[in-house]
Amino acid sequence: MNNLKDRIGASDMSLLKPMMVAKRRRMYPLFFHMGPVALCITSVLLIALMAVLYLSQLGQAVSANQQLQDIHAQQATLQRQNQDLMDIIAQEQSPAYIADNAKKLGLVPAEPRLVQVVPVPNLRPIQDNSHIQP
Amino acid sequence: MSAELKRARNRQMVIFLLVCIAMLGLLGRLYYWQVLQSQSGYHLAQMADAEHIQNQILNAPRGLIYDVQGHILATNVVRDDVYIEPIQFGVDHPDSDSFQADLQRQAHALHQILPDVGEDELIKDFTSGRAAVRIAGPIDPSQSQQLREMHLPDIFLEPRTWRIYPGGELAAQVLGYVQDGQGVYGIEGKYNTLLAGKPGSFTAETDLNGNPLTVGASSGQQAIPGADITLTIDSSIQYLVQTALADTVKAQGAQSGTVVVVNVHTGAIVAMAGAPTFDPNQYGNYASQKGCLGREDVYFSPALYCDYEPGSTMKAVTMAAALDQGLITPNTAIQDPGYVTFNDASLVTNWDNKGYGTETMTQVLEHSANVGAAIVAHTILGPERYYPYLARFGFGQRTNIADPESAGNYRTNQSAGWSPTDLTRQAFGQAIVATPLQVAMAYQAIANGGVMMQPYVVAGINDNGHVTSIQPTVERRVISEQAAHQLVGMLVYAAVDGDARPAVFPGYSIAAKTGTATTQGISDDQTEASVAGFLPASNPQFVILVKIDRPQSIFGSTAAAPLWKTIAQQLMWHYSIAPDQP
Repeated sequence: MNNLKDRIGASDMSLLKPMMVAKRRRMYPLFFHMGPVALCITSVLLIALMAVLYLSQLGQAVSANQQLQDIHAQQATLQRQNQDLMDIIAQEQSPAYIADNAKKLGLVPAEPRLVQVVPVPNLRPIQDNSHIQP
Repeated sequence: MSAELKRARNRQMVIFLLVCIAMLGLLGRLYYWQVLQSQSGYHLAQMADAEHIQNQILNAPRGLIYDVQGHILATNVVRDDVYIEPIQFGVDHPDSDSFQADLQRQAHALHQILPDVGEDELIKDFTSGRAAVRIAGPIDPSQSQQLREMHLPDIFLEPRTWRIYPGGELAAQVLGYVQDGQGVYGIEGKYNTLLAGKPGSFTAETDLNGNPLTVGASSGQQAIPGADITLTIDSSIQYLVQTALADTVKAQGAQSGTVVVVNVHTGAIVAMAGAPTFDPNQYGNYASQKGCLGREDVYFSPALYCDYEPGSTMKAVTMAAALDQGLITPNTAIQDPGYVTFNDASLVTNWDNKGYGTETMTQVLEHSANVGAAIVAHTILGPERYYPYLARFGFGQRTNIADPESAGNYRTNQSAGWSPTDLTRQAFGQAIVATPLQVAMAYQAIANGGVMMQPYVVAGINDNGHVTSIQPTVERRVISEQAAHQLVGMLVYAAVDGDARPAVFPGYSIAAKTGTATTQGISDDQTEASVAGFLPASNPQFVILVKIDRPQSIFGSTAAAPLWKTIAQQLMWHYSIAPDQP
């Protein structure tokens, strides 16, 4: 098939060029002609820009990862401390610890046989639920 | 086309073909390494994954154990083990002069923080030529902190989770212990699957330091923590019982002892103690120690496993069987010359060889007369009416509250080798073995109007927010309410006027029976002295059983009754139970 050049003729092509450029500009406003060297340089620049953007994102992700690891480590440390504190509380609540410390303070175990029970007629006791048995 | 151009074109074609062949060859090798060898042969894909993908097992935290008031009885802590890297230390110090100097410095620094590890021992470990050597552990948190702050080279800390019992020996034989992550004995053993939880897993791409990457692929399953268990044990009473029992065993020169305290109305076990006992934090130190008259390891709960001949405490069961069937009343009388002969059974004599003449059933208990008990079982009840009551009272059956547990044993008229002599002896607690808990539960049934409750030591389970409370459960009605009421009255007299008098104290009525059991083939001064009873008798709240094995003062009244009284007084005081005899 003949191309446009063959149909129209070479001299007429030079007249049509500005029209074709104008028409192309209307249809593709952002189109611009770039030579091969310029195209290569632009491609390299674009690739480099994308690489920089990607590396920046990656760096942020790695930094976030490191922060996450630090937080996990802090959490593990705090959990250990919490367990240790619970252990200390449990030890200090144990009857043996209380009895030992009471003795160190000079207290002596109470003798139930020395307790005197005073009966009070018609006395209504207040319900004590602190020693509820299962 | 000119010949020159043709030749040029041909040369181009040849070069092109050669390049194509070379490319095909390269593609072929690429396919060989990238596809074929990655999945088989050298397993390159797997090797690559092993470098940067980490599979981690996430251990599930073990559930905690609480007492009835919410105090922790068993918990978990993380402690560090200290490792050194001798090979790496050698690599870091190639010069022999600096090696020796740094080695001395390192050993000295470590010894300052870990005084239990000698410097010579450390130097020997550092020159062992091994990749890693554990030098200490578990260490205190303060020691871990000091080691971290010092930043000593070629040393690292490996965290490990430990099971801790803050109360030490408190309720040790109830709790059991944990060895290598597995519960052994007691609650730790019986509820191990529940307490252990389920481990999880975590697979992720890692960075150079082995930390999982957020941007990388990861998958995993969360660990499911173990369930928390709340017991019916009251730590205050348990401590009191344990210390008083240990003191009594020591004072009496006894071999061992057991105490059980049970809530009458619910069957909940308030305290369960044995002497000797052990510290579950250092269970390994007790491997050679024995309890239960030297028969069993000290780890066994004697209340569940140390069966014995209950002696005269069984007379209450004999009377219960006859009362329930209306065959006797508390005032039914027999003749007791101090001995009785049977046509088909051996002679039975009273323990003190005394005759009591005309004796009511109540007086049989007061005098703890073997003659009266034997007559009731052999002549009044007979085997067909007696043995069903032993079964109804739970003898010969496990309670299944914890492991290991003995069922006890006795021969019936259906057993091989049984003779009526067995029956007459079982009436006063010989020729039958029972665990202390079984005897306590028999008295619980008597105290609870004839209704036996199912004993239990676990009050509730919290399985990751799903809470299950164990409700008191009726096991069965053993005897009628009327029979139970009559028997309580008889046991009150047995306490006030009988051998259990040393257990009586002002303010409270008690119903109790002593027992002094001998064992065939063993000298009669080697006894198992016990007291079983409950209080207040007018409105029973707690059953207490005390058993002392081979005490110097051989009788239940002298060896066991004083301890029974101490425990009873403290119970009434601790639970603010008003006196019924002010």
